[in-house]
Order: sequence, then C-alpha cells, then structure tokens
Amino acid sequence: MAGVSVIAANGVSMVFGSHRALDALSLEVPTGVTGLVGANGAGKTTLMSIVLGLRTPTSGSVSVLGLDPFREGARLRAMVGYGPERNVFPDDMPASDFVKHLAEVRGMPRSEARTRASDALWLVGLGEERFRALGTMSTGQRQRVKLAQAIAADPSLVLLDEPTDGLDPVQRDEMLNLIRQISSEYKIDVMLSSHLLEEVERICDNVVALDAGKLVAQGRLDELVGDVEGITVELAELDDVPGSIEAVASRLRAAGLSVSHEEGLARMDVLGASSDEIADAVRDAIADSHARVRRIEQRRRRLEDLFEAVDA
Amino acid sequence: MTAEGSARILDRGYRKFEGRRSGVSGAVRSTAWHSTRSVLGLGRKARHKVAPVLVIVVAFFPAIVFIGFAAFLGGDEFVRDFLEGTIPAYSELPRQSLAAIVLFTGLVAPEALVRDRRDGMLSLYLSTPLTRITYMLAKVVSIVGLIAIVVLVPSIIYLLGLTFASLGPDGFGDWVTVLVRVLISGTLASLVYALVSMAAASITDRRAFASLSVVLAMLGTLTVIQVLVEGADLSINWRLLDPVNMPLEMLARMFGDVGQYRDLATERVYAANAAWAAASAGLLWFRYRKAGA
Repeated sequence: MAGVSVIAANGVSMVFGSHRALDALSLEVPTGVTGLVGANGAGKTTLMSIVLGLRTPTSGSVSVLGLDPFREGARLRAMVGYGPERNVFPDDMPASDFVKHLAEVRGMPRSEARTRASDALWLVGLGEERFRALGTMSTGQRQRVKLAQAIAADPSLVLLDEPTDGLDPVQRDEMLNLIRQISSEYKIDVMLSSHLLEEVERICDNVVALDAGKLVAQGRLDELVGDVEGITVELAELDDVPGSIEAVASRLRAAGLSVSHEEGLARMDVLGASSDEIADAVRDAIADSHARVRRIEQRRRRLEDLFEAVDA
Repeated sequence: MTAEGSARILDRGYRKFEGRRSGVSGAVRSTAWHSTRSVLGLGRKARHKVAPVLVIVVAFFPAIVFIGFAAFLGGDEFVRDFLEGTIPAYSELPRQSLAAIVLFTGLVAPEALVRDRRDGMLSLYLSTPLTRITYMLAKVVSIVGLIAIVVLVPSIIYLLGLTFASLGPDGFGDWVTVLVRVLISGTLASLVYALVSMAAASITDRRAFASLSVVLAMLGTLTVIQVLVEGADLSINWRLLDPVNMPLEMLARMFGDVGQYRDLATERVYAANAAWAAASAGLLWFRYRKAGA
C-alpha cells in the first residue's frame, strides 16, 4: 500500500443548519498512524463519520481504501475497525462475547470470530480478564476492549476516536504503545483523533490538524515538526538576582540576536545566527546576568506552534 | 506426558484473515441472533431469564391444558365428542393467550431496541457492514421470531398434540394445510405486533418507559376503541384501529373463520393490519433516520 492514500478527501464540507462543521476540506492520508488533531468541536468526529459513510457531506467527495463510503459503505466498513469515543458498553456482557459478536457482524465466521476475539483480547493485555463483564471493568480496561473489538476482524484501517480519553499517564503510555504496535507489527493503518498534541507527536507518522472545521496542516509529522533554526532557552527565576531573565534577553538583543520572549515568562527563543554562535552568546549572557539555566535545546517546531500560528 | 523439552507455549500473534467474509447477510443474521439471545436472557444472569420464561409459560398454558384434556380424557368416546365441540379452533388458540402476547411484546421490543441505543451498541453496529435499514431488518427478524414464540409456537404444539390424541385434522393433506395456515398467519400476526411494539419502543431511551409505552399504545388504544364502539355506539369500523385484536382477527380470517368481529369485512381487516405495519415502519424510520451517527 506504500504511496497509496488510505483516505482522500476533496473539497469536503459538512453543514448542520447554520453551523459549518467542515469547510472545504481537501486532504490525503497515507499509510501508517495518522493523528487527527484539533480542539473539541474542530470537526474530528464529523470527519470520522464521513469516512465511515455514516454521514453524507454537504459537498465534496471522499475515498477510503479506494472505495466510496456512501455507495460502497457496507463493503468498506467490513474492512474498517472503529473505536468510538463513547465509553458506554453493554454492562452485563463478557468482554470475549462482545468482541466476538462484533467480529461476527464484521464478517468473521463464528468459530473464527471466537478465536480472534480471544487473540485480540490477549494482544491488548486482557487475556486473563476476557470473561469478565464489561460493567466491572475499569476505564483503562474498557478502552482496551474498544481497541480489541476494532482489530479483531482483521481490518485494513482502524479509526479510533479519542482512544486515551480518561486514562492515567501510565495507561495512556500503554495504549499509545499498543496503537503503534498495531501499525508497525500488524500492518494495519490507524487514524486516531485526539486533542492532546503531545501524544500525537509521540506515535503518529502523519498529522491532519483541524481548527473550526478548517484544515490547519496535513502531512508527515517529521516535516511539520522537528528541529528548526535557533535555540530555545529556559531560565529559572532567582529571588537573589531579580530581573536576571530580562537581563539575559537584553544582552542577547544587544549582541544582534533576535529574541522572542514574553515578559514574565522564563522561556525564550533565540534566532539570528548559527546555532554555535547563538549557544556561545547565550552562555555569555547567562554568565554576565548571573541567571540560572533550566534548559537549553535546539529550537523545535511543535504541533502546538501550528495552531498558535493559525490563531495569530 | 510430553517428552522433556517438547512442551512450548505458542505465541499466535496477530493473524491475517484470508477467508471469505459473510457480508451484510451475515451481519444481519449475527445481530438478529445476538438480539434474540439477549431478550431471552441466554448467556446472561438468571434474573434476566425470569420474565421472558414466565410469560412464555403463561402463553403455552392454554395449549398444554387442552392437549392434556385430549390426551388423558380423549379415550372415552363421549368425552371425545364433547372435546371436539368445545376445544378452541386453531385460529382461536392465540386469543386464549392474548394477555401474555401483549405482555411479551411490551418486554421484547424495548429490550431489543432501547438497550442498543443506551449502551452505545447502535453506533458500533453502524460502523460495521450494517446500515440503519439492515440493522432494523435484523431487529425485525429477531422480534418477529420472539413474538412468534407466544403467537405461533403454541399453535404448532396444539396441532401436534391434538394429532397425537387423534383429534387433529383428517388426512395428511388437511394436516399440512392447517400447518401452513398456522405458520403464515402466525408469522404475519407476529410481524404486525413486532412493528407496532418497535415503533412504540422507539419513542423513548428508557427501557421501563418503552415497555410502558408499548403496553399503553396497545391497551390504551384498545380501551378507547372499546368505549367509542360500545359506549358511544360508533361504527364497528373503529375496531380496525385496535392494534391488539386486529392481528388475531387477521389470523382468524386467514383460516377462513370470522374471528371476534363478524361485521368487519375481511379486506378491511387485512388493510387495517397493513396500515398498522406501514405506519409503525414509518415511525421507526423517522426515529432512526439519524440515530447513531
């Protein structure tokens, strides 16, 4: 599938009454793990509904795995696993029955569905818990069950809506590792929606960023974020040397460098020369101002910066 | 005993599926079967089985009683003649269990429909090869099958019981004719009950309220019509709006009997049932046209 678009949208708009949920969206999602990022209400869930063929866009066209979701929805959805954001399940149903039933509905023969349900639950770390009723499971376990049902029927694409919602940091790390594993080891393409940019930066190959229904950025993560010109410096405020941070900024400006620093904040971005020259200038300015360093690093562009640029 | 060193745990990992997928028909079949199991409490705790089993037993009671009479007393020629004149006809038997039928419809549709809306299964189903229409088809198949347990199955047992007691239809041809009529009329009556109860259950997202709305839709309409026809002396045609009795009236007419309302024209009885089914299907479509997206 290398080089082939998993999802391609061309001029997709979705209007609900007077609200424009998606606005002329054109994008191509390649293979791998793709993060669909944006604040709540950005249009992520609406886009997922359109990709699944559950909603027809007001205008524009979409192709998913080479199929038209509206004309070939049933065929497409047999090849797609979906983990909804909603965390409500049939409480009295054992996890294995739940995963097996949905695998059957997605087209697996009964005996195959039983085996695959068991395998999928083992893979997400719930092998020992697979006969437990869903209502007795923790939020973290339920999120894993959602992932297991999404992969049990051997899909080509998995759509996960906020898969780390409600998880503590340890559980979130485990879930993100599982999602990465699904793509890298099982060769299943994944699109996950999230409003947490940090987790998308951690595991995604590609990014689609939405803001109020509009496309903010799309492409390979390593092309959108990563090392850029300049150095980021973070200083610590010292009680016995008041104004040391402002003094560092002033000295750097005096040395002919461009300093992006908001008053009162300890972090500044320094540009205007080679990294080595900036590093030397920063070292001297800190020493002369008796400031304390917390962090010096090559400046990186983060997903957050993309949204800040749009807001600006 | 395995030889030392030969035992090992196999990591099956994740396997690709190379077989043929069952498609939409498989999805409908699986959903219908899952729904049926869920309503009957199969694979669930014992408390979920109590209500459906109790109502089914009540629905089977008249058939079993009449078969019991026929089996134990039918040997005597006098009693036999008496039984032949008094036991209900095949078209009349379902009416003996009318209360159980209404109660069961109030139990089945809410359990099959409302649960899916409340526990998120509907959204998940719509992310599979099922569409809203095929999802509803699966539910109709399941609910018709379940209601047939109280409308149709007692009649089959009744037919078999009377046949073994030598009180059944004369000759194989008549026997098959009765069986076919039992099957077709019972299925159609179950279909009307299923659609009416599904429409009533689609109004609310709370199972108890849905059960109440199904029973009220049926018994409430029945009571109002009873008052209009018998109290206010309105036309017998108002009976056509009665969703409790019309399916059984249709069932009786399919046997060539007149049923409970001899003054109603058979065509009107059929049309009334078709109208109830169409109106209920329309309400269901309206309620589910955007659900689960």
